[in-house]
Amino acid sequence: MDKSLIGDPLSRVDGRLKVTGGAKYSGEWELPGLVYGVLVPAAITNGSIVSMDVKAAERAPGVLAVITPFKTPVVPGFKPDAAQPVRGLKLFNDKLIHFNGQPIALVVAESFEKATHAASLVKASYQEDPFETDVEKNRDKGVVPNGGKYKDYVRGEADAYKKAPVVIEQEYRQPSEMHNPMELHVTIAVWDGDDKVTVYTKSQGVIGTQRSIANAFGLKPENVQVNSRFVGGAFGSSLRTWPQEIASVMAARLLKRPVKLTLTREQMFTLVGHRPYTIQKIGLGADLNGKLIGITHESASQTAVYEEFTEGSVNVSRFLYDSPNANTRYKVIPINVGVPAPMRGPGEATGSFALESALDELAYALKMDPIELRLKNYTDRDPERNLPWSSKYLKECYTRGAERIGWENRPAKPGTLREGEWLAGYGIGCGAFGAYRGRALAKVKMMADGTVNIQSATSDIGPGTGTAMTLIASDLLGVPASQITFELGNSSFPTAPTQGGSSTVSSVGSAVHDACLAFKQKLYVMAGMPENSTDPIDYKAVLKQKDLPFFELTEESQSSQQAKNFSMYSFSAHFAKVHVHPLTGVVRVKRMIAVVDAGRIVSYKTASSQMIGGAVGGIGMALTEEAIFDHKYGRYVNGNFADYHVPVNADIQDMEAIFIDKPDPYINPIGTKGIGEISLIGVAAAISNAVFNATGKRVRELPITPDKLI
Amino acid sequence: MNPFTYTRPVDTGAAIKSLGKESQAVFLAGGTNLVDLMKMGVVVPEKIVDINRLPLKNIEPLSGGLRLGALATNSEVADHPEVVKGYPLLSLAINAGASPQLRNMATVGGNLLQRTRCSYFFDLAMPCNKRTPGSGCGALAGFNRMHALFGASDKCIAVNPSDMSVALVALDAVVRVKGPAGDREIKFQDFHRLPGDEPQLDNTLAKGELITAVDLPPAAFTKHVHYLKVRDRTSYAFALVSVAAALDLDKDNNIKDVRLAMGGVAHKPWRLQASEDFLKGRSATEDNFRQAAQIAMQGARAYQYNQFKLKLAPNTILQALKTASMQA
Amino acid sequence: MSNKQDDPQDYGNPLNEGRRDFLKQSSLLSAIALTPGAIRRAAENKWDEKIADEMGKVPLSLEVNGVAYQLKVEPRVTLLDLLREQLHLTGSKKGCDRGQCGACTVHADGVRINSCLSLAVTNDGKKITTIEGLSKGEQLHPMQEAFIKHDGFQCGYCTSGQIMSAVACVKEGRTRSPEQISEFMSGNICRCGAYSNIVKAIQEVKNQQS
Repeated sequence: MDKSLIGDPLSRVDGRLKVTGGAKYSGEWELPGLVYGVLVPAAITNGSIVSMDVKAAERAPGVLAVITPFKTPVVPGFKPDAAQPVRGLKLFNDKLIHFNGQPIALVVAESFEKATHAASLVKASYQEDPFETDVEKNRDKGVVPNGGKYKDYVRGEADAYKKAPVVIEQEYRQPSEMHNPMELHVTIAVWDGDDKVTVYTKSQGVIGTQRSIANAFGLKPENVQVNSRFVGGAFGSSLRTWPQEIASVMAARLLKRPVKLTLTREQMFTLVGHRPYTIQKIGLGADLNGKLIGITHESASQTAVYEEFTEGSVNVSRFLYDSPNANTRYKVIPINVGVPAPMRGPGEATGSFALESALDELAYALKMDPIELRLKNYTDRDPERNLPWSSKYLKECYTRGAERIGWENRPAKPGTLREGEWLAGYGIGCGAFGAYRGRALAKVKMMADGTVNIQSATSDIGPGTGTAMTLIASDLLGVPASQITFELGNSSFPTAPTQGGSSTVSSVGSAVHDACLAFKQKLYVMAGMPENSTDPIDYKAVLKQKDLPFFELTEESQSSQQAKNFSMYSFSAHFAKVHVHPLTGVVRVKRMIAVVDAGRIVSYKTASSQMIGGAVGGIGMALTEEAIFDHKYGRYVNGNFADYHVPVNADIQDMEAIFIDKPDPYINPIGTKGIGEISLIGVAAAISNAVFNATGKRVRELPITPDKLI
Repeated sequence: MNPFTYTRPVDTGAAIKSLGKESQAVFLAGGTNLVDLMKMGVVVPEKIVDINRLPLKNIEPLSGGLRLGALATNSEVADHPEVVKGYPLLSLAINAGASPQLRNMATVGGNLLQRTRCSYFFDLAMPCNKRTPGSGCGALAGFNRMHALFGASDKCIAVNPSDMSVALVALDAVVRVKGPAGDREIKFQDFHRLPGDEPQLDNTLAKGELITAVDLPPAAFTKHVHYLKVRDRTSYAFALVSVAAALDLDKDNNIKDVRLAMGGVAHKPWRLQASEDFLKGRSATEDNFRQAAQIAMQGARAYQYNQFKLKLAPNTILQALKTASMQA
Repeated sequence: MSNKQDDPQDYGNPLNEGRRDFLKQSSLLSAIALTPGAIRRAAENKWDEKIADEMGKVPLSLEVNGVAYQLKVEPRVTLLDLLREQLHLTGSKKGCDRGQCGACTVHADGVRINSCLSLAVTNDGKKITTIEGLSKGEQLHPMQEAFIKHDGFQCGYCTSGQIMSAVACVKEGRTRSPEQISEFMSGNICRCGAYSNIVKAIQEVKNQQS
């Protein structure tokens, strides 16, 4: 081939299905005899259920089952303690309540309306115990999580920043944020006899879901068929198998009918994870030239009392900047809340808000340009692991972003630039996220007519997995994209990792790459040509000559030993220009530029959308999103889509993604590092820093709502 | 949602009659608020009287003014040429509320009757005197960031969420109602009520009464108007504070007449009479606007989480007046 | 309970007396004369519920995407649930069920509405258009083409609602500027953040038409 197809602006391969309503999401399968399950949430925050009155629910028309801890269903093989799917929650096998909204009953009825109404008739009386939902009140109750990964980290001397000539020491707060994918979490389960079940569910990893369900019900994994062909967003909320998925499988077994269980939007605030409320303290010390002497990053994050959740909020401070002294401390604070889950850019997004804000504060203290300060402390090796980077073009990100946003217009003195009745300001925030590659398999099958089908049990929660895979295959095989279909979201396909951690193209793309390469080599050999030939080949002719109706092979792909000699990260620099209204405190993000070093970009069109989408998520994190508890009742006061504000169209103006697009030579055969997380990591700091530049007001507590600026 | 019986009368008298017999019967118009409340179990009617077929949809001239049929949708009102020309403040306020889809469904009458968005009102697991009289007010010592500054009681500190009503109170609209006891007119100012000891009552409608229209007086503020809504995101959110400002300026920039009202600060759309009185006859200067904004805040009382409104409200009044005065 | 699990008919509602209670409470008895034996048989076969179900239903004639339907539905069924669960037109999505996201946007007599807040029966006699009715056979609506071209979506879940809203937005003439398009598309939340591409798609369609 003269030119690589990778990087071509291919439109989404599933675009037509999505714009016509033809894409079938998990709750949309028509199954004969389908019935509807609705969960009943606990109305207390800690304690136990003393008794339940389900008579009215049972007598309501159309009700088929009311499952409660007082009528614990005996499901042969079901293990309530099965660690993987339900961990601390034993789901109808336990009367203990650990958080408000925890499921206490499942009502199944002939229609959605009947099930919903009957669920409202279930009454419970409780033994209420004291509870804690307030992280601030409990910040001294933090504990170091289990496992060595979270031990205090020290390079050089701890807290060395305190002795530096210029010191910044500040606290930053990230409230609880909800994933809130547009699709409600839903599962349809249908059994075939006593030992086989098919599950249509919202999942970022069908293999993981298969394992969890098999484990919970004592089934052979191959007897659990998991489908998740289209996923209406997830952002981390479908990385694991949740109790309600188990509940629908349980109910389907008892009723011997397909059961569909859909969460309400309100239930999604308590049952499918969130970005945890986190208090961080950053200490930065520098000499008068801006060279860092010490970085200290402390983080305390909420977790559930029944299950420990951890994330890497302090990690970014260990490696992003060169400092002889760096130390981190990480603790979790167990409170009465549903367990958190990794949310896009997980801990790194939280951590980078704190670090990149503190760095901005340092730049003002030094009267230095924030980009210059970052360049002063640029590091060409990973100082944490003392390894060379596999690739790093963050400097280029600074330069190109600064040029594009018009950084020269940034006022050195905050609060001095006016545009009409608005104050204007510019800010930068950087992101980094580990570039991962997991073991994955892909099957390539070519039919006699030359069309290609590729299968892998990966997912597409939105980034356009199929589109990227099609481009990789098209490039390798020299077959037009229109002749290739890529199938995913089915547990019977060759194994692939869960879609998370920005690793899908790196992992599954490599498997597709390797499988297509092996396929091509096989065909060359069959054609009597050298396997590494670059001459044109007529696949159809080869198949015809060998009298083959099709030819297929499956290839496994994983990381090389050599990769271990490098530290691998994707990097991003986000630039923001904001307007702030001096009277009303309203912030408008006028422009955002995301400049990204993510290795080679496989699918430009979808990657741009993904980058911009992540930045929109970052705008929400910076300006609008916060799940708020009433600590007296332990319930969210804004647990719905009207009062929890995700950005709307009018919040978004000029957005642009710029890719450095230089392949990483070590991570995988394609050279791609991943963009899902770094699209969001750094955005909140860029906006917060721009708000300071516009107003001179430093907001260290997200989100930056109007009340904090007037 | 609970099961209920459903009727769809085509005659206004029949609709009123149909409702009258049942204690737990409600009128259904656009449904944007009622259906939501039914889903949440806040309203549990035994009977729905669907009034969408009643002949109350017209927007028609009325001795110099304009009559808005109770079933005209928010969009129909906002886009109506007579409204755009004669009552631009109303058009602006309506378009600042909800979303295009909801405005296509919501009606004039329904908008007047929409319930508060207070979280405690919507959540059956928390107390609310408005939903369940006597159960207590969760917001009083709870999360009250969105709550009232004016006219609240210790029974209820919720606010009325309507944008349209803020413009209507400023424009001196009149609500026409029909009930078992006949027809009557209610001044907009008197239509919504303060919570007092009966926060379950949002307005002064008698039981069984149906809003048939809202009448607008002759158009007076056609140029120097502005509706400024400050919220947590740019669109599709309820107001932290909103201000409807209308000025009638002479050629020397003196204020011949003025109307001011606020949303998001009280149990009813909050007309700023004292500020209007101050501004009348004065010149349209930033300093006068600032003083008017301060006057508006007399008697304001904030709670733990809405202290910011004490500053945001006058700032918003000031900005709304500035923008209104500068309309060319 | 456990000994009954082999009989799914009985599970969770083993109280046949409960069914009889229901039958007694329901207004059926006044409507239909049943002998006590008939009541028992009716209860055992869930006829009571089935009859009550039918009695509680309201006739509804509706045209959806050009197809006429004569239906009987419970009045509490929303237009969205009717489309998705009974007519199996799942293109219209449920993202909040409370008019807070726009994923359920359809056109009723040409006007965009949130079908989740519209009781199906209130749409009697109306013409409903859903995303499935937008294209002409294999030929996509220009807005659908534009969404593909400008990548106006990622996960696709809000897309049906966005496109139905976008078509209406153009028809309403709310396309004077990108800001106006954004404002009049703000009733459709996209968590993947495809907003800027959606605006480009709408601008393209608007320019084609002008």
